[in-house]
Order: sequence, then structure tokens, then C-alpha cells
Amino acid sequence: MTQELEGLYSERLGRYQAAIALEPTDRVPIAPGSNYFAEVYSGNTNQETLYDPAKWVEGELEFVRAFPETDVLRDNRLWGPQLDAIGLRSYKLPGRDLAARDQFQFVEREYMMADEYNLLIADPLEFMFERWFPRILGEYERPGSRRSYMAFLKSGMAQGMYAQIMRDRSIRLQEVAGMPQPMTGAFVAPFDVLADTLRGLTGAIMDCFRQPDKVVAACDRLVEEMANFALRTADPLKRYPIFVPTHKPCFLSPDQFDRFYWPSFKKVLEILIGAGYKVRAYLEGDWSAHWHHMLELPKGSVLCDIDNQGDIFRAKRDIGHHQCLAGGIQDSQFILGTTDQIREQVKRLCESVGVGGGFIISGGCNIPYTTKPENYRAMIEATLEFGTYDASLRPMPKQTVGPTIVDAFDYPKKMTPWTAKKQELGGAVPGDERLIQRPWDDLEAMAYAWLWQWTM
Amino acid sequence: METGGVRMHPIAQALRDLDEPTVNRLIDEELERGTSPLELVTHLNDGMVAVGRLFAEDEYFISQLIFSAEILKGVMLRLEPLLLEGDEAERGGCVVIGTVKGDIHDIGKNIVATLLRGSGFDVVDMGVDVPADKFVEAVREGGAKAVCLSALLNVTYPEMKNVVETFERSGLRDQVEIVIGGAPINEQVREFAGADFYAPDAVAGVELCKKIYG
Repeated sequence: MTQELEGLYSERLGRYQAAIALEPTDRVPIAPGSNYFAEVYSGNTNQETLYDPAKWVEGELEFVRAFPETDVLRDNRLWGPQLDAIGLRSYKLPGRDLAARDQFQFVEREYMMADEYNLLIADPLEFMFERWFPRILGEYERPGSRRSYMAFLKSGMAQGMYAQIMRDRSIRLQEVAGMPQPMTGAFVAPFDVLADTLRGLTGAIMDCFRQPDKVVAACDRLVEEMANFALRTADPLKRYPIFVPTHKPCFLSPDQFDRFYWPSFKKVLEILIGAGYKVRAYLEGDWSAHWHHMLELPKGSVLCDIDNQGDIFRAKRDIGHHQCLAGGIQDSQFILGTTDQIREQVKRLCESVGVGGGFIISGGCNIPYTTKPENYRAMIEATLEFGTYDASLRPMPKQTVGPTIVDAFDYPKKMTPWTAKKQELGGAVPGDERLIQRPWDDLEAMAYAWLWQWTM
Repeated sequence: METGGVRMHPIAQALRDLDEPTVNRLIDEELERGTSPLELVTHLNDGMVAVGRLFAEDEYFISQLIFSAEILKGVMLRLEPLLLEGDEAERGGCVVIGTVKGDIHDIGKNIVATLLRGSGFDVVDMGVDVPADKFVEAVREGGAKAVCLSALLNVTYPEMKNVVETFERSGLRDQVEIVIGGAPINEQVREFAGADFYAPDAVAGVELCKKIYG
């Protein structure tokens, strides 16, 4: 990496990190999380983003050349072949199920039945292998068949390939374009696990009324699973926040949120923050009845993206003194609006939400695919014009590296840890145990994380 | 509780309060007593209207709308076989509803459809990923005066416009009013699409249909 690019990388990362921590920096960061526009700007199809990593990264490098003021570009996309290998049924993918330029879509169904809570709570792995996987993983429809074994084998290999692809991409974006990531690693809130990929929204809501205690117990049981998955997929250097999209709070009443959603979600957030990470949370839909809870977490620990339906000006009053906010421009403004409208909106945002820092310019949890390029450009120009705090400041990244300490459970989680295996071998091995234990436990932890990714 | 000066039937109250066991018990009792299923449907509809009102007043959230719809669905499964031929309640206006082509999300669309039925509308639910000409066909067949278009994805703005233009080309545009709604929809999108109304939430959508048929 040239010195210039290294400087650019440091400056962008430092700016982003300062905003998240509510600390002074030179200007409002231009740091959208899900920049769909960047994926297709070069003319790439949505299928190419998910199936052709080389084309994806080249396309986004073209985007960076056109919009170099952008501060981050993301890494955390699905990789089509990995989903194909296991036959994941919860997504429709462009090129496979949809036209190549269509947007991927989530298919919500009842993959868990209303009477299966006890099993999920008592033994999540038993629940997964016996009930859930055969329903949600098409290639595992007949457990024990040759095809089901091959599917696991292929998908395990695909996971290794996928990790390598994302690592290479991250390094390439950093070295060729000086570009940091908006987030690395992901999880969903325990209630969203239930309401997305297990019971579906309608099922989960029925359960809140018909068997509320089971819902609470299941969410509690999922806390360590989600924290484990998040930490396993996070940036080991802790430069970037961990991503959490929150899907179902906008459907819940404040009482329901307080009872079913927040307690377990908060526990996961506390584990991640305690382990030295920041979190980037998409507050999807209208979170205004719930977002005051973000005040319960340490200041500057959760970057909150405000969606199209949320009022970011109100969010600034309610929680903006405690957590960084991102957003402010409506999907419809990017897609249908004029450059003058964008400029006016950015000015308004910088002069209110931007005051005192802790603000990142973005859309409502995304930059739409069909954004007019001149509108994205107008957002940048207006941010530079109205969002500059102190041009003499030179942002620098924080020292984030440190051990990942988890008190809540034995991290990283494994199904058959070495200690159990050693007992099977008679309690001792004749040679150097460490040479066996480390890779055994590493592979166990990798496989364990693989099991839970299908809840995303 | 009084609604419009008329005391609500206990079934309507129980549905309004989302008290599923009580709704089911009262339905059993009434059926045993020989009350006509049609009358029970009227009480259930009153209950759904009350739920919609609580939502409009910010007392209820979407989860409560969804649960009320599920309670209703369960009861209707029992009542429908009992309804006699020609025993239909006075039919309200016909509304065609669907999620536009390119989008398979149906949560919002389903809530609106249930609330519309609860308000006495004759609902033609076209499902998801519905091509523009299918909406036109449905209007031609059913004579609906209101068409509700739903979407969750922001890539559907041009498709909303396409539906409106397809109605124009078909010659039916003057006979229908088009309501659009869904998470990424707002007044700016309505203007772009050339729709008649934008519904900020499910209950607003029902109110617009009432207005159209008013």
C-alpha cells in the first residue's frame, strides 16, 4: 500500500471511529452501511455481486474512483454458491430464482412449529439437526442421505472459500483504494431469530400472545448463540463495528418490545461491547417508541442507523447525545428527488443532527440500487460544504486491538470440545497435546459458527 | 365500552381486547343458543373496526393488528361452513389488492386485506409479485373502484407507475382510484407513480377505501 493510500485509509477509519464514539473529527463521515448503489454503479448485475467476487470488487473500485469522498465500503454480503451448496430456502437470489438484476429477497415461513419451543430451549443443536435443518436447508431434506452428507461437506468447504473471498476483498479495498469497512461480522437479535427464520413474524406474534413465557425463555437461550456467532465473524482487530439489522421491533408495542425483544438483545449487545467491540444497529422501520433503550448502553457504543420511517431529528433529541446516528435521506429522495432537494436536506441534517458530532450521512439503512448518480454526488458535495467541523483536524484510527474476553459463556462455543474428545481417548495422549487440541478446537468452533449462520 | 352510541356486543369487545379464549367461548355459546352465524360475523366485524380505531389512536401496534386478524381467521374457519347460501352480509365495495411485480413481501398487504374484510369490503387478494395487467384484469372482472398496491422494496417505484399507466392504457383509469402503501412509499412516490392516494399505514388504507366508496 502506498503511503498516500495508507494515509487515506487511516483518515477515513479515524473519521468513522470518531463519529461513532461521539468525539470531534474533521467532518461528517460519508459512511453508509448497505450501499446497494455502489454494487451496481459499474453496470454489474445483482447476480454478479453475489456470484462473482472478482467482478463485485472491480465494480466497487469503479464506484470509489467516481465517489472517492465515500469513507467506507462493505464486505458482508451473501455468497451465492455457499447458499446453493446447502440449498438455503430462506432467500430468493438474483440469477437463480429471480432475474439477474432483481434484488435478493427473504422468504419468511414457519420453519419451526409452535409446539417446538421446549426442544429449542432444552437442546438447540438437537432442535436444529432434527427439526429445523431438514426444513430450511433443501439439500438436507433427508438427513442421513448421501446427498445430505455431501451438502454439509460442500457447505463447510464453501465457508472456508467465502471467508477467504471476504478477507481478500477487505485487503484489496484497503490496499488499492484505502477503503475501510462499515462493519464486519453480524448477528440478529434473539427475537428476530425466532421471528425471521424460525417461526416467522405471524407465528412469533401468535406465540407472544399464546405462549409468552416460552418466547422469553427461547430468546434468553439464544443470547449466547448470537453473541458467539457475532464474535466469531467480527473483525479480529476490532477496527469495525459488528452489524445487526433489527427486523421486527417496528411491529411490536412498547410493552412487547420491553418484554420480548429488548432484554435478550441488550444482553448480546453487552457481551459484544464488553469484549471490546462497537455495534452498528439498523433500527429498521419506526423505532421511535423503543430507541430510548439505547441510553442504557455505554455512550458511543452502538451506531444507530435511522430508517426511512424514523424521524432522525427526533432521534437526535432522544438519543443523539449518547449514541451516534446515521441516515437522514429518504429512499425516494435518492431515487426520485433532485440535486437541489438533496442539498437542502443535507444542509438541514448537518445544521441540526450534525451539531456536536455523532452523525453519519446516509440513507435509511441503505443507499438504494436505483439512486440517481447525481443525487449521490449532491449528497457528497453538500456534506463537504455543510458538514465540515474543523478542516485542520487530522483523523487517526484508535488503538482497538486487544483480547476478546467473554465472561457470559465458554467462548468460542463448540459441540465436542477437546476436553470431551480427550476423555474418549482415555484421558491422555502420549505426545504433545497442544498440537492436537488447538486445531481440534479451532475446527469445532468454525463448525459451530457454521450451524448458526442460517439464522441470519 | 360505547362505540358510536351503540353498546358493543361482548364478542366484539373480546376481539377488540384480543382475548382469544373469550372470543372462542362466546362464539361456542352463541352457536349453541342458535344465534345465526351471520349475526356473529357482524359482531366480529365490529370488533375489527374497534381494533383498527385503537391502532389509529396509537394504542395498538401492528402486532395487535396481526393477532386480531389471526383470531378472526380462526373463528371464520368455523363459521364459514355454517353460513347459508345467500346468507352473506350486505356486501361492501370491491377492493383489489396485491404486492406489485418484483416484490414478494406480503405482511403489510395481508394486514390491509384482513382489515378491509373486517370493514365489510369484498376483497380480491391478488397475492405477491403481481404483474400490472393482472390488476387490470381483476378490476375488469370484479368491477372494483379501489385498487391497493403494496411494496416493501424501493426498486418497485417504477412498477407502481407502470400499474397506473397500464390502467390508463386499458381505458379503466377513470373507473378506479389507486392507493399505494408500504415501507418505502410516501407522497413523493405517489406523485411519481401518478396514484390517487398514499396510505401511511394499514388503517389509513382502509379509511381511504371507505372514502372511495363513501
